[in-house]
Amino acid sequence: MSAKNAVTMSSLRGKTVLVIGAGSLGGPAALTLASAGVGRIVLVDPGAVETSDLAGHPLLVEADLAQPRGATAARRLTRLFPGIDVEVPAGGFDAGSATGFVASADLVVEASSHFPTMFLANDSSAAAGKTLAHGSLLNFTVQLLTVVPGATGCLRCLFEGPPPPGPEAGALGPLAGFAGNLLGAEAVRLLEGLPGAYAGRLLVHEARSVRSRSVPVRRRPGCSACGAILADRAPLAGGAS
Amino acid sequence: MSPTSAEDARFAHQQLLPGVGPAGQQLIRDARIHVVGAGAVAGPALLYLTQAGVGTIYVDDGGNVNDQGAGSWLFTPDQVGQPRLFAAIEVLRAASSFVRVRAYATDTEPTATVVCAEREPVARKAAERARLGGLPHVVALASGDGGEVVVVPPGAPCYGCASRPGARLPPRSGAAAAIGTLAAVELLLVVLRLLPGKAIGRRIDVADGWPSVRLTARTPGCDCHNVY
Repeated sequence: MSAKNAVTMSSLRGKTVLVIGAGSLGGPAALTLASAGVGRIVLVDPGAVETSDLAGHPLLVEADLAQPRGATAARRLTRLFPGIDVEVPAGGFDAGSATGFVASADLVVEASSHFPTMFLANDSSAAAGKTLAHGSLLNFTVQLLTVVPGATGCLRCLFEGPPPPGPEAGALGPLAGFAGNLLGAEAVRLLEGLPGAYAGRLLVHEARSVRSRSVPVRRRPGCSACGAILADRAPLAGGAS
Repeated sequence: MSPTSAEDARFAHQQLLPGVGPAGQQLIRDARIHVVGAGAVAGPALLYLTQAGVGTIYVDDGGNVNDQGAGSWLFTPDQVGQPRLFAAIEVLRAASSFVRVRAYATDTEPTATVVCAEREPVARKAAERARLGGLPHVVALASGDGGEVVVVPPGAPCYGCASRPGARLPPRSGAAAAIGTLAAVELLLVVLRLLPGKAIGRRIDVADGWPSVRLTARTPGCDCHNVY
């Protein structure tokens, strides 16, 4: 390990990252954070391991079926990286718990693949002035966005709210893994004080064509989540407070 | 042999993808994939191909687990010093009972190859062997904040034509896993016949979190078109 890497890992050791969702996106994101040397991960996922999880989750094996997903993923994570502290709260990320979870973290990683949770994470992060790295997957398309409160637009600036329910989408395990990896690497970048690769620009990546589009996400006046935040509240670079 | 109801349940979401369905899942099930390497790039590729329902995986690695083994997502610190080959096979078999995991041997007959060797000369040699065998192959090399994934269907420009010359940097944390995972995506797209066309190769570069693609072109003077 180079001296520079050792210094970086040492600074990451003191950081806490809230990872919302321990599924096919959150699992690889947490692995990336752990391998980078992040000291503490709060992994929020109240669900149980389902058979579909086993089609693409690097922290789960068949024997884990029906076990608590967050705790099971955390157990494997700490076996791989014994130096990391992984906390798995009993409850989920909901209106009652969101503020407390976000306040305790240096950075929020939203990987729930659940629209209401996604917007709740966006709103609570904006209210707390915490940088949020978000990832999602729809069929063959990956979307990644970093929201720096006060500097970039947020999920509500872009979408305003969750879409109406649609037909169930498909998922390719390794593509979710790729998205989770990029999400974790973005979180590491932000924790190191570097500019986020997806700060204020949504990456839309289609796997079959490998077409990657950059969609600017500007602050929307009157946005219900971030409209009231003063423009100079958070810097773009090193947005993880 | 047709899939069981347990397999259908496991891969239900995968089969919902446009262009996949039960027929696509059967293509994945029929695939026999030779994976070169069991390190930080190969580990995630091995895990994801196993969990996606590939029928047979041949693991090809001669190294031992070192103190960076966890970066492959396969090995725990108490396995340092053990042969990666056997440790990887054990993890993959635990991940899915639908896959046959074997050590690669000279008499195995894969249908495609994923090259995730940690050293470039080894990767080049493995890619050339796959090309001469008429096998579609995907070559993944991590470097710095990202790396490259090259897809070589039979008849496409070879890896030598498609790769970018020059020194490579040690991969940053997470970059190797991202590149290995992307290699698994590309391999599955090859198996599912969801790439743009036959004999069309492509190279995906990932830099600073952004993937970009270009179709590969044969280097003037390279005789890789003469093999087929």
